[in-house]
Amino acid sequence: MDPLSILQSVELFEGLTSEELRALAELCHERSFGNGEVITRQGEPGEELYIVYEGFVEVVRNAESSERAPRTVVHLGSGQIFGEMALLDRGPRSATVKSASDHARLLVIHRDDFERACEGNHHLGYVVMRNIAADLSFKLRHRHLTGR
Amino acid sequence: MVTIYKVSYVVTGEDHPGAILNTEKRPIPGDLVRLGTREFQVEEVIELIPPRGEFHYMHATLKPVPEKADP
Repeated sequence: MDPLSILQSVELFEGLTSEELRALAELCHERSFGNGEVITRQGEPGEELYIVYEGFVEVVRNAESSERAPRTVVHLGSGQIFGEMALLDRGPRSATVKSASDHARLLVIHRDDFERACEGNHHLGYVVMRNIAADLSFKLRHRHLTGR
Repeated sequence: MVTIYKVSYVVTGEDHPGAILNTEKRPIPGDLVRLGTREFQVEEVIELIPPRGEFHYMHATLKPVPEKADP
């Protein structure tokens, strides 16, 4: 599957023109992870945004803490993004994310490429930032509904 | 453009984190959904927030489907 057709079904890019989508597709790299494989680790620096397009990932808080019990916050499947918090605020990763499928396939965009694209095209930058805010809002609503 | 349903799945009756995923089919009660290795049945579906573009935002509650015993 080519990155462009994947990006067309991801909310993060809703509202972009075909030309803008093509420009972002060129920034994407594909990675695959086996079941249980760690993709990001809580507390570590992060410079990449991830888009799930096949399989599931598991978002876990305190996965490696000796003081607190690990807690799975959510599973993310097709079309979902993660890594956006550290991408935006440059803080450490807020959770550990592991593959929850035998063959989870992701697209990855590096922060430097992402920021250059947003700064070089303000329409693209506005739309993507609005969609990241909407995605964070949706995740918060989900969390409220699960009571976690 | 294809309509895409972004669904917040919440499991009732047990301590489960649920899941968020996109699907091209609107979830309806009775549907079977596989989250990882487990299968669930959709109990109730509501529109969580108004649609935007081709995206519709849904909330579905799930109940676990009992695993079949080995013969």
